[in-house]
Amino acid sequence: MQQFSVHKIGPEIKIAGVDLSFTNASLFMIISTFAILIFLFLGTKERKIVPDKVQLIAEMFYSFVAKMISDTAGSKAKPYFPFIFSLFMFVLFCNMIGMLPYSFTVTSHIIVTLILALFIFVAVTIIGFAKHGLKYLSIFVPSGVPAVLLPLITIIEIISYLSRPVSLSVRLFANMMAGHTMLKVFGGFVISLGILGGWLPLSFSVALTGLEILVAFLQAYVFAILTCIYLNDALNLHH
Amino acid sequence: MTIPEDFKTRLKIAKSKIRKQVQSDSGKRGSFMGSAFKLGTELVAAVAVGTIIGFILDSWFDTKPWLMIIFFFLGAASGMLNVIRTANRMQKEE
Repeated sequence: MQQFSVHKIGPEIKIAGVDLSFTNASLFMIISTFAILIFLFLGTKERKIVPDKVQLIAEMFYSFVAKMISDTAGSKAKPYFPFIFSLFMFVLFCNMIGMLPYSFTVTSHIIVTLILALFIFVAVTIIGFAKHGLKYLSIFVPSGVPAVLLPLITIIEIISYLSRPVSLSVRLFANMMAGHTMLKVFGGFVISLGILGGWLPLSFSVALTGLEILVAFLQAYVFAILTCIYLNDALNLHH
Repeated sequence: MTIPEDFKTRLKIAKSKIRKQVQSDSGKRGSFMGSAFKLGTELVAAVAVGTIIGFILDSWFDTKPWLMIIFFFLGAASGMLNVIRTANRMQKEE
């Protein structure tokens, strides 16, 4: 579909055989990054005691993420607040900017979400090994399992651990792509049914747009909270 | 008409209770929805990862298709494990 196609903007750039051209996906990632920067700059510029609207929303995002981290990963995860906050804001703004007409949804491409998830996966694994050394491998060996079953359970645990980045990325990608495809399908119905029958799919379209905005927020939230949960597993070994 | 002192304190306590309940309710609902979204993909992802691992091991050891079949079932098992874990976490939060 046209809204999902990636095309180059400007000249083709190739470095060591790898195509690094600037595409519309890169453009929208930069747009959402700058949108976050401008929003947070405006939100923290004046620091009033009685906040105005922008400052209120910026502070709400801050306390929302701070509460999420302390609830799921405890106080040990405080140093990772900047990472999780920027991750949450990036995914949220990519999803929300994707809801605007004629824009491009970066998170509806699995390569983007997969790279985000793989980065989290590798980072969490490194944090786990850095904090606990080889003891971190004990998350693959649950306690209280009979010795006969232990090899089987260990393999199952390893598969479960390796499936984390896949489930994390597929969830975000599938939700975004399915939602946008559904909106497109209902939009197509409006055109093909014409002025007489087109009102019903049009009203569905309006309702779905609302639902999509909810999904855009919820998926950013889920992405961030799962990062917190994985971080919690790496920081507090208690299996 | 004056309000008696003990009624004032009781009102204060009741009001603070209401506020607490509202806050915890809305927070919980968000994380429930998140967990519910988690369950579905968790199962599928583990099966897919298990099958892919089996496929790679098969091409290493030249044992097509046996390891893939075995790892498909192991992946399904770990998917169920993931779902049970997520469900347990949801209950703990309650």
